[in-house]
Amino acid sequence: MTLSYSDIFSDHLANPRNAGELADADVVAEETNPVCGDRLRLSLRIRDGRIDAARFLAYGCPPTLACGSAIAEMIQGTTIHEATKLTKNEIVAAVGGLPSRKQHAASLAIETLRAAIIKHASEDGE
Amino acid sequence: MLTPSASQQQPRFGSRISDAWTEISVVMRKVYLDHSATTPIDSRVLEAMLPYLTEKFGNASSVHMFGQEARAAVDKARRQVASLVGARANEVVFTSGGTEANNLAIRGICEVAKAHGRHVITSAIEHPSVRGVVDEIEKEGWEITRLPVYDNGIVRIDDLRAAIRPDTILISVMTANNEIGTNQPIAEIGALVVEEREHGHRHLCFHTDAVQAAGRLPIDVQALGCDLLSLSAHKIYAPKGTGALFIRRGVRLAPQQVGGHQERERRAGTESVANIVAFGTAAELAKKELDQRNDHTRRLRDRFETEVEDRIPDIVFNGDREQRLPHLSNISFRFIEGEGLLIHLDMQGVAVSTGSACSSGTLEPSPVIRALGRNEELARGAIRFSFGKDSTDEDVDYAVTALLRAVESLRELSPLSRKSLVAN
Repeated sequence: MTLSYSDIFSDHLANPRNAGELADADVVAEETNPVCGDRLRLSLRIRDGRIDAARFLAYGCPPTLACGSAIAEMIQGTTIHEATKLTKNEIVAAVGGLPSRKQHAASLAIETLRAAIIKHASEDGE
Repeated sequence: MLTPSASQQQPRFGSRISDAWTEISVVMRKVYLDHSATTPIDSRVLEAMLPYLTEKFGNASSVHMFGQEARAAVDKARRQVASLVGARANEVVFTSGGTEANNLAIRGICEVAKAHGRHVITSAIEHPSVRGVVDEIEKEGWEITRLPVYDNGIVRIDDLRAAIRPDTILISVMTANNEIGTNQPIAEIGALVVEEREHGHRHLCFHTDAVQAAGRLPIDVQALGCDLLSLSAHKIYAPKGTGALFIRRGVRLAPQQVGGHQERERRAGTESVANIVAFGTAAELAKKELDQRNDHTRRLRDRFETEVEDRIPDIVFNGDREQRLPHLSNISFRFIEGEGLLIHLDMQGVAVSTGSACSSGTLEPSPVIRALGRNEELARGAIRFSFGKDSTDEDVDYAVTALLRAVESLRELSPLSRKSLVAN
């Protein structure tokens, strides 16, 4: 094993929160780390500027799975405005910390969230 | 509400996964299926080595009785290790492990033979301890030919024949691969080298890394025709920290560790007597119990593969399924990534390994699986299961169940999977 995982990290792996896809999603975004190939897909249902429901799918190393679970859980129920303020460090903290070589997993989570928000804003504005 | 949930909170989704984990937590057991990484110390081996950690503590180079007691033990172990591979005792040099043996073999030959040529042939699937040395000497100006292995994970003798040049001084091809277990045509390579020498290619040497094969395949250096052969103790139920290099009588190589007369001037440093005694005992047991161990691990491995094949779709077996070590199975699981699968299994008490690693946002997919021509997804999803002499049918049953759960869980999460769920 290359990492020593926290209990919360292991729990995200064993019991992923909000896994899957929303049939009635308002926006779906998928980002890929071009170097390592890890992928994260977020689907969001948005009502009155609030993320009413969030689901994730992930392919990649365990931190990518855990960060996907953490971000989907953290953003559900927040306003879009609150979600835009979410940081990589908050994701890292939410999974009980990550070694520096695995921090890209939290970056992928934030990038996917931002991609979803931007996509939704542009579709909303059309 | 940007608050992560506490571990005791109920998951909002994936109750089937949650139920599975609850069940596993009740019946959790430890199943070690990573015997290609290392093996537990055999109790008989431990018993043999313990006196050399306590009352028989002498330095084997000392002249007094304490030293001579240690010397006799090292000599006996040398005969035992030599016997495992059909060598003479004075053709065995003890090292700190397989990595050092590989370094000594390759660098030692290259230094001595460089006046005759600077070309080395190896395979695309060597262990990192060979690959690393070869990469280093390449930076120093040596020319390297890396033989391909095709989709069965085995080098072809015709490719080797075509690669040999007048300035080739070393061929280093492993006896059996550490990730997929494929046996390489070592006897044919040995015969080709003998033929080359008979035709005047006097300085061509043949080294084989037999770290994975020793104790699992019957090895006879005379029949194989190799000049150098690397061994490691901890793969055959002895402690880590000791290995050996067979150096055929008459083969000259430059020592890589100097400053002492030990090991007939070929490897300086006080011998680790207890570890060497353990290695000798383990080698003797490995030779004596070879068939019995192989029958046992092959039966477990084959049953494991049959169960996995029956119960888990979208898998690919890696490497030739006939020409391979009896204890090892390497399987790629589509749509998921090996490290995630490894951790899921680890959380259920099942220890396996993967050849791929994702670090600092860069992926290093297993070079061995890639060499088979597999795509990146399959290379990332490859897992090695390696059974041991003490593995049991219960281990197989538990591992298959845990594997099924882990693969299902990860595929439910995977955007690549056809099983992606739609949920509200």
